[in-house]
Amino acid sequence: MAERQSPERLSPLEPVFHPGSHGNFEHGVDVILTETRPGSILQLAAWPGAEKQLIDAIRKVTGLALPDGAGGGVAGDGKAVFGFAPGKFTVVDEAEGLASAFSKAVTPAIGTVTDLSHGRTAIRIAGPKAEWVLAKFFAIDFALPAFPIGAGRSTTHHDIFAQIQRTGADQFDIYVFRSFARSFWKALCHASEEVGYEVQ
Amino acid sequence: MSPRRIETGGRIDRLRTIRFTFDGTPYTGHAGDTLASALLANGVTLFGRSFKYHRPRGLLSAGVEEPNALVTVLRGEVREPNIAATMVEIYDGLVAVSQNRFPSLAWDVNAINQLGGKLLSAGFYYKTFMGPVFGPLKGTRFWMFCEHFIRRAAGLGKAGIAADTSRYERMNAFCDVLVVGSGPAGLSAAKTAADQGARVILAELDPRFGGSANWSGETIDGAPAADWAARTVSQLEGHDTVRLLPRTTVWGYYDGNTLAALERVTDHKEVPGKGEPRHRYWAIRAKTVVLATGSFERPLVFPGNDRPGVMLAHAAERYANDYGVLPGDRIALFTNNDSAYRSALALKKAGAAIVAIVDVRPEPSSEMRSLATEAEAEILSGHAVVATEGGKALSGLKVQRFDMNSGLLSGDARSIHADCLLMSGGWSPTIHLASQAGARAEWNPARQAFLPPKPTQQRWIGAGAFNGSFSTVEAITEGRGAGLSSAGGASAPAALPDVEAAPGDPNPAPVFEIKAKGKSFVDFQHDVTAEDVRLAHREGFVSVEHLKRYTTLGMATDQGKNSNVPGLAIMAEALGKPIPEVGTTRFRPPYSAVSIGSLAAERFGDLKPERLTPMHDWHLANGATMYSAGLWFRPMIYGLAGETIEQAYVREAKATRESAGIVDVSTLGKIAVQGPDAAEFLDRVYTNMFSTLAVGKARYGLMLREDGLAFDDGTTWRLGEQDFLMTTTTANAGKVMQHLEYFLDVIWPELKVHVTSVTDEWAGAAIGGPKARAILAACVTGTAVDNTTLPFMGIVHGQIAGVPVMICRLSFSGEMAFEVYSGAGYGTHVWEALIEAGKPFGLVTYGLEALGTMRIEKGHVTGAEIDGRTTARDLHLDWMLSKKKPFIGSAMMDREGLIAPDRLQLVGLVSLDNLPLNGGAHIVAELDETNPHDSLGHITACCYSPALGKHIALALVEGGKARHGTRAFVSDPLRKRFGPVEIVSNHFYDPDGSRMHG
Repeated sequence: MAERQSPERLSPLEPVFHPGSHGNFEHGVDVILTETRPGSILQLAAWPGAEKQLIDAIRKVTGLALPDGAGGGVAGDGKAVFGFAPGKFTVVDEAEGLASAFSKAVTPAIGTVTDLSHGRTAIRIAGPKAEWVLAKFFAIDFALPAFPIGAGRSTTHHDIFAQIQRTGADQFDIYVFRSFARSFWKALCHASEEVGYEVQ
Repeated sequence: MSPRRIETGGRIDRLRTIRFTFDGTPYTGHAGDTLASALLANGVTLFGRSFKYHRPRGLLSAGVEEPNALVTVLRGEVREPNIAATMVEIYDGLVAVSQNRFPSLAWDVNAINQLGGKLLSAGFYYKTFMGPVFGPLKGTRFWMFCEHFIRRAAGLGKAGIAADTSRYERMNAFCDVLVVGSGPAGLSAAKTAADQGARVILAELDPRFGGSANWSGETIDGAPAADWAARTVSQLEGHDTVRLLPRTTVWGYYDGNTLAALERVTDHKEVPGKGEPRHRYWAIRAKTVVLATGSFERPLVFPGNDRPGVMLAHAAERYANDYGVLPGDRIALFTNNDSAYRSALALKKAGAAIVAIVDVRPEPSSEMRSLATEAEAEILSGHAVVATEGGKALSGLKVQRFDMNSGLLSGDARSIHADCLLMSGGWSPTIHLASQAGARAEWNPARQAFLPPKPTQQRWIGAGAFNGSFSTVEAITEGRGAGLSSAGGASAPAALPDVEAAPGDPNPAPVFEIKAKGKSFVDFQHDVTAEDVRLAHREGFVSVEHLKRYTTLGMATDQGKNSNVPGLAIMAEALGKPIPEVGTTRFRPPYSAVSIGSLAAERFGDLKPERLTPMHDWHLANGATMYSAGLWFRPMIYGLAGETIEQAYVREAKATRESAGIVDVSTLGKIAVQGPDAAEFLDRVYTNMFSTLAVGKARYGLMLREDGLAFDDGTTWRLGEQDFLMTTTTANAGKVMQHLEYFLDVIWPELKVHVTSVTDEWAGAAIGGPKARAILAACVTGTAVDNTTLPFMGIVHGQIAGVPVMICRLSFSGEMAFEVYSGAGYGTHVWEALIEAGKPFGLVTYGLEALGTMRIEKGHVTGAEIDGRTTARDLHLDWMLSKKKPFIGSAMMDREGLIAPDRLQLVGLVSLDNLPLNGGAHIVAELDETNPHDSLGHITACCYSPALGKHIALALVEGGKARHGTRAFVSDPLRKRFGPVEIVSNHFYDPDGSRMHG
């Protein structure tokens, strides 16, 4: 059988991803929804006491310097990282293959690397009403002082576990389990109808 | 001009006419009207029929406390009953109907109930319908006869049966300060807190902010109070950190300063905007709450106090000043306090004639006399109203001299002609939220009211009338103080506001009831009279909680907002105790009615979360019938045209055993177990050994619960020295994950192990059957799949159609089988490649039914057998219980009860009458269809076995293996299935595993 080269990953949102303006958009679009489709999504976890070494490893591999404190994070240049639990971080890269880069940097003495590039779906919501729409889903304080740019949060919407990183003043990247992604996307579109949304 | 609409005044938009119907009659009103004000403006006096006696009722109030004017609002097929007309904002096309009447509001046949007043007194149902039949008209059987008629006659509106198509949403909000109520106190608090930089949410149940400032006629800082309110609101709108929520009722106060509120977003609109919800349920987490919820005016209890045309004094003032409607031309007032005088003057200014102010107090103050003079009203001091006259509208009233100390009436009754009687029995602070927040209310003898308790567990501050501070100056001053303190600001001396208001003593005379002949209502909504309260006392009810339940005082939609204090006062007098000794009931959420839709929010229908496998769309496109397995959706069968479910699964299973079949197993729980102690950890959680497992190999494992019962099973693959991939059953994936995390976090924190759910990372396809290996060989590159390279329980890595895959040789079907894992994003791609490669070999897709059939034939256990009551030994998995190491459950698994010989054990059953068996059917030694007894066990799973050509089942049966080869019977009386079975080994098919091992 002939081999097909580098097939494209299929998005779980495929049948419900409808680019264009929707909902109450006649008066303007207040949020933009998109799937960012990063090449790599990793979970890095440090053994107790090895957190700083892991943070160093993240800086070495990605160039991203994590700020101190729980839930701290940083995003930029096609890469992002944030803490989502004590000693645990989600690292994202536009490019594939981040796991192999980290498998060398994160030694067994530091912690573990788990590749979730297929297992999580990344959805971005941006726009002046992003906080409003997300407030329908999560019991999280989305105000900028409480949730600064770069920071991450772990939370759930109904049965759907979600990690959220604020990647701009009015922009959030949400990572959900792939199997739930279509349900979550449909709910997000539904919730955005009121403010007018565009799928890009 | 409508009959009662005054030419000027009010805050309605007279340029906008709104058309609506009430009981089918078309009416007009103006934008800004409520249904109540618009109907009142049209001269409507009759709004509803009372709950029990079907007495005609008019408007009592102008707000959320309205007990009488309950209507049903219709929107298409959807009907919403029991809405106070005072809370319905009119819109073009509004259709409202009255309720609890037949055939019409004006002519209600059940009004005959008024003649049976004695019969229908407190406790009527308990006395009449409980207990054994005693005479022709007593007892439970009599209830069964009467129930239908009583339910038709008594009650409120009828709920609709059409599905509510409205949309509801939930919102989460966080703030430094939540201000509840936007009267002068609330506005001042919100403004002060916002000026301090606090994040503020201001919730107001009315459409317009300002509360009493909108209709008090007072001036604040030189401007009309309504303008002051509007100016303050616009200042608040200028703050980025302030969220204003009109039409929002804060209805619940919960732990951690979490409050629940209902925003009525589009109830006032003819058509909601696109995507706009009807209601929003707000869960508000506030650092501090300012309670500025105001107070309710109390009715006085006297005969005929429920006649249409009898209204609360402030309500009439509000109708005049807020809506430009006069509730009467000739208005009398009846009061025990000063506030009614202000109302009298306001109504006089609006154009009404004030025919009398009946004051129970012997000596109203000179200030009140001046107000009365200005209102051109006669004061009848030391008098009380003893009767009202009229039918569906008021025509007059009778007054008599009254001694407020003795409560005695004297002298002749005097008639007064009036079309409206306003009453004021003092004011009760709206302390519901404070009461919900924890502490008991305190009686204030001066105010004759329960005042809010001191905050105990929660962080709230009260302001204004809520505190019993009824003047606007006090409200603003306290509001500012509350705003400052809630925002953490330093106390700065603020100039007192300059308020011009009518004078008045905030303390009423302690008069609640005028005892005279006739029905005097305490609770209007539930038709509870003063005599009912006394009857309850005579019958031995002394606790206020019992009084409430026996008489139903303070129940129903208004929850005693008008009736609680007068009811308590009457009870206290009957008991001969002061009111504080009688106590008050604790308020519970919700403060007012909450739509169930808003609580359910978006978690139903299409928006209920579903889990889909990577190949979900392929299954749908290729004829699969899907069913739900927990939140997952999985193919049941891939039916061909005209096939029944049984025909389809039999075909699929047969084809798999004859050539090959493929099934989506992506739903299996998958957990990455990583770290230097991963192998040790697995040794502890599984009954069998995993540290000895070689890299590149998989092993079947069993877990027990701590109590020694079986928990879950699955294979775990060793991908690296410190890297395992654990699989669990689909149903138990979450539970197993929690179990592992618990042990790592709490019991063995010293173990260096991380567990991560990777269920969604991998797409899984299980391909099995005699041709399975050949199919793989045809499409897999980068690795061989022969028996040497890929032995039973071996793992290899390769590619299929350019995609990296991981293949493990293991079998659930009993055939030679392989699980092919790829990144989930490539799942469909790999699946299609496998299907394509399988075509020449007769590969079929199969669903859960065929999967279940093959596992039953093979005798494998699933959740149906690992049901939380079975042990490893019960399931013949004792060979997996390692004796070389302890593991979770090992300490408890040998308890006497868990090793008893009479436990139910796994067996196979073959139907001897060649009829299907049923899951759950009992197994008995002797058949007795009329008196089934002595169950030996039950069927856990059943199917028609294409491999055996018989109906077979797995069952848990006493004695287990010892009964192999014996005959028993299925006994299933509910489904009327009885018949002979043979008990056999659970391994029906290929017991030595030769097919699987190949």
